[in-house]
Amino acid sequence: MIPCMCFIQEGQMATGAQVSLRQKLDTFSRQAFNAPAQQTWIAVSKGNGFTEAKPSTSSLVSFQADAPLDQDRRKELLSEICDIWMAETGCSLNEIVASINDPAI
Amino acid sequence: MPLYLCNARAGAISADAKAAIADDITRIHCDITAAPPTFVHAFFFDEGPAPEIGDRTVVLHGNIRAGRTDAQKQDLIDQMCAAVSARTGISRKQIAMTTADVPASWVMEGGDILPEPGEEEAWLKAHEAKAAQARP
Repeated sequence: MIPCMCFIQEGQMATGAQVSLRQKLDTFSRQAFNAPAQQTWIAVSKGNGFTEAKPSTSSLVSFQADAPLDQDRRKELLSEICDIWMAETGCSLNEIVASINDPAI
Repeated sequence: MPLYLCNARAGAISADAKAAIADDITRIHCDITAAPPTFVHAFFFDEGPAPEIGDRTVVLHGNIRAGRTDAQKQDLIDQMCAAVSARTGISRKQIAMTTADVPASWVMEGGDILPEPGEEEAWLKAHEAKAAQARP
């Protein structure tokens, strides 16, 4: 299993979009890392998320790879995550932060 | 990135205090690291899943870009904990904070890999130029 943590702002995403996104992220994980995503979703309650000290509309998604990635591959996968997120939620590119961590040593 | 998570006992931080602390966190982070405020995320939880509260009243955790000095990290901790204490009246001893380094190259924000510390200005210029080009 590939750990995947998602922070979203409460009320920003329709339930249907979240279900679809979970499926898409799992498919992404299977294709990128040959293993399903072990997803943890955390909703930030209204009034509790801030970006640039203003109410946040940002989502953050973080995967932990099962092996170190070279930077070109990491960039390609990060772009793919952003594309999936935008397609499913309708958010802008400036509202998604994605990271892929190498495994802990 | 940075992403600051603030987990507190239920009711320990009022809504007004959260907004004020988010402002403090953003200002302190930018003052100490010279990062642009657009990068700074601060999310609050009332007895949320992370970071673990343990026997404290408030626990902060900051995922920050790798490359900051130990002195900068200690300044972040000292000033942010002091800000939380000042905004809430909670004793400094009841507030804990940790930071974790995340390589900038691991993170994409606004469709671009984050800049290394000190390269933010050039990154922002390039990012804004790219965004302007993409506009219809």
